[in-house]
Amino acid sequence: MNAIIFSALSGVAMMFTGIFTTNKSAIRNVAVIALLGLIIVNLLHSYGIFVVRVNTHSMLQFETFGLFFNTLVFAATLLFVLLSGKDVTNAGTYGAEYFALIFFVLCGVSILTCYNSLLMLFIGIEILSIPLYILTGADKRNLKSNEASLKYFLMGSFSTGILLMGITLVYGITGTFSIEAMRPAVSVGAPNYGILEPVGLLFIFIALLFKVSAAPFHFWTPDVYDGAPTVFTSFMATIVKAAGFVSFIRLFDARAIEMGISWKIILPVIIIATLLIGNITAVFQQSVKRMMAYSSIAQAGFMLFAVYVNNDMSKEGILLYTAAYSIATIGIFAILTRMKDITFDGFNGLAKKHPVLAATNAVFLLSLAGIPLTAGFFAKYYMLAAVVKENGAGALWLVIVAVLFAAVSVYYYFRVIQAMYFKEGEPEITEVSGGFKTALVMLAVLIVLIGTFPSALLNWFYF
Amino acid sequence: MSPVPVTHILFVSTALFFIGMYGLFTRRNMITMLMSVELILNSVNINFVAFNKYLYPGKLDGIFFSLFIITIAAAEAAVAIAIIINLYRSHHSIDVEDAGELKY
Amino acid sequence: MNWIPQLLEIAPAANTADNYLPIAIQLIFAAGFVAFMIAFSAWAGPKRKTSDKLENFTSGIASHGDARQPMAIKYFLVAILFVLFDVEVIFFYPYAINFKELGWEGFFAVLMFVAFFLIGFIYIIKKGALNWED
Repeated sequence: MNAIIFSALSGVAMMFTGIFTTNKSAIRNVAVIALLGLIIVNLLHSYGIFVVRVNTHSMLQFETFGLFFNTLVFAATLLFVLLSGKDVTNAGTYGAEYFALIFFVLCGVSILTCYNSLLMLFIGIEILSIPLYILTGADKRNLKSNEASLKYFLMGSFSTGILLMGITLVYGITGTFSIEAMRPAVSVGAPNYGILEPVGLLFIFIALLFKVSAAPFHFWTPDVYDGAPTVFTSFMATIVKAAGFVSFIRLFDARAIEMGISWKIILPVIIIATLLIGNITAVFQQSVKRMMAYSSIAQAGFMLFAVYVNNDMSKEGILLYTAAYSIATIGIFAILTRMKDITFDGFNGLAKKHPVLAATNAVFLLSLAGIPLTAGFFAKYYMLAAVVKENGAGALWLVIVAVLFAAVSVYYYFRVIQAMYFKEGEPEITEVSGGFKTALVMLAVLIVLIGTFPSALLNWFYF
Repeated sequence: MSPVPVTHILFVSTALFFIGMYGLFTRRNMITMLMSVELILNSVNINFVAFNKYLYPGKLDGIFFSLFIITIAAAEAAVAIAIIINLYRSHHSIDVEDAGELKY
Repeated sequence: MNWIPQLLEIAPAANTADNYLPIAIQLIFAAGFVAFMIAFSAWAGPKRKTSDKLENFTSGIASHGDARQPMAIKYFLVAILFVLFDVEVIFFYPYAINFKELGWEGFFAVLMFVAFFLIGFIYIIKKGALNWED
């Protein structure tokens, strides 16, 4: 609750900061302070200290998992602002308003991590999405940005329509929006509602697949990620996507049984299709930004394993995955915003001219590829181990397919590393400050630390 | 006089939903597409109110949900109009076919 | 498909044409009202049947250019803002109905809602979105 209230208030505060000052560094400092405050109040909530006591009428339910995920997301946003805050204020005319919108997105995220009612799911998704439509179109003079924004809006509102249709069908049959009340253990002996509830849940399922850009519904992702200003792409691809998965997990934790046996068949198909399309298309890209968009689809395939199996290990896995993937992607996109030429050729010879940038970029890419000793390895390992733990040897084929696709992903991540280290060229890059380099090195160290001692992060989860 | 059965109302709302979907897929005018989206949301509103009135008359959950849908649809429309005006300024057209910058 | 009887049970299938009588009356009334207004103004309005009547009415400066000129953006801005603020008032209806039952708790909740509203309004004014004269 603390996080929801405080993030909304921070957003309002950022709006008024924009009126009283146009000094960009002052705006950034206010945002960093507000984010620190946000992390602190969320931690306070984890220890049971509330700023305001609100009776939520069991529409929200707070669990350790959601609160820890909030902390993780806010920390990732803090890293994002520290690293690319300058790009946020320079993305368009209204620096402070972009931060305000980011805070509103965080408000949506903190609703999505603790909702207990389909009404809150809907409101959370909308609070998350509407600021993103604006952020995508932030670069008003850029045609690509405008079009990406339109496309995102049309796709987003279409999926909202499907989500609402699903909710209304579920409501019509059960008469409640609560997801908790419908837990299988509670509803034993309840009348069998036949086909309408699975159909409604299927609609909600499809809408959420849209939001996390899984395979048959992924087609908006590359265009939107490509067209949006690069800073906001990195925000969308990491924090927002992870929040989508958490809302997914919360719903299917409670309602998986009602979907019947069929979703155990649908979901592996979707996972494999997502991995296939994401990885194979990423191989053929020329622009690194577009390659990252497709690779984010591929990573979504791995994160879907946490929806497929729902045990403690997969929950740990999704936390680890969020941390690893967010840090690495934020780092790569921060470097990408500094590049003049964002094709693979633009990276030629980066290692000679800017060894720090090249080395950190290599660490981030290795982590995304899932090479041991980086955070990405344990993230993928936990996901696959959770599948084996739940389903035994029967799911081994799924694990093998996933590992094969992870091997494919190594190819296109290594193309960037190859361009940086083994090709001659003159990379054009805007001036980078010492602080930026320090922040990048910090991120890289963080990745290696998580990759060496993943249990440190997870132990913190259990306090 | 006996009431209109709920199935008839559901028929209307389902028809509206699919008309909206059809419009979204076939129309190329951005304003018409926006109207189609609103049609989808309003069909869901009808559904909620009908379910609430006929099946669960004791509670008001469904009606409140439709209030939230109305307000959020207004917010969405405001953002959409802003995006469309911005695109119109650069393309001098509100046809989505003219917005082909991201095609390759 | 056992949900269909469930629905039918609650709403019995007495489905005769007179269920739709109110709707039909409303339709007839709407159409009739429009027809009546047109006919009434045609009948009651003053008529001067001269040849001048058929010519275009011209006075003042001769018109030029296309009527479909681009409008200033501030009209759209004001229209959008109006829609937003207008629709948000919808949340007052449930409060107005349950005014007494909700007591002070409900009052503070509504007060908070209005406060957020006002903050948005102040923001708009400060940003100069409502400045009509440039």
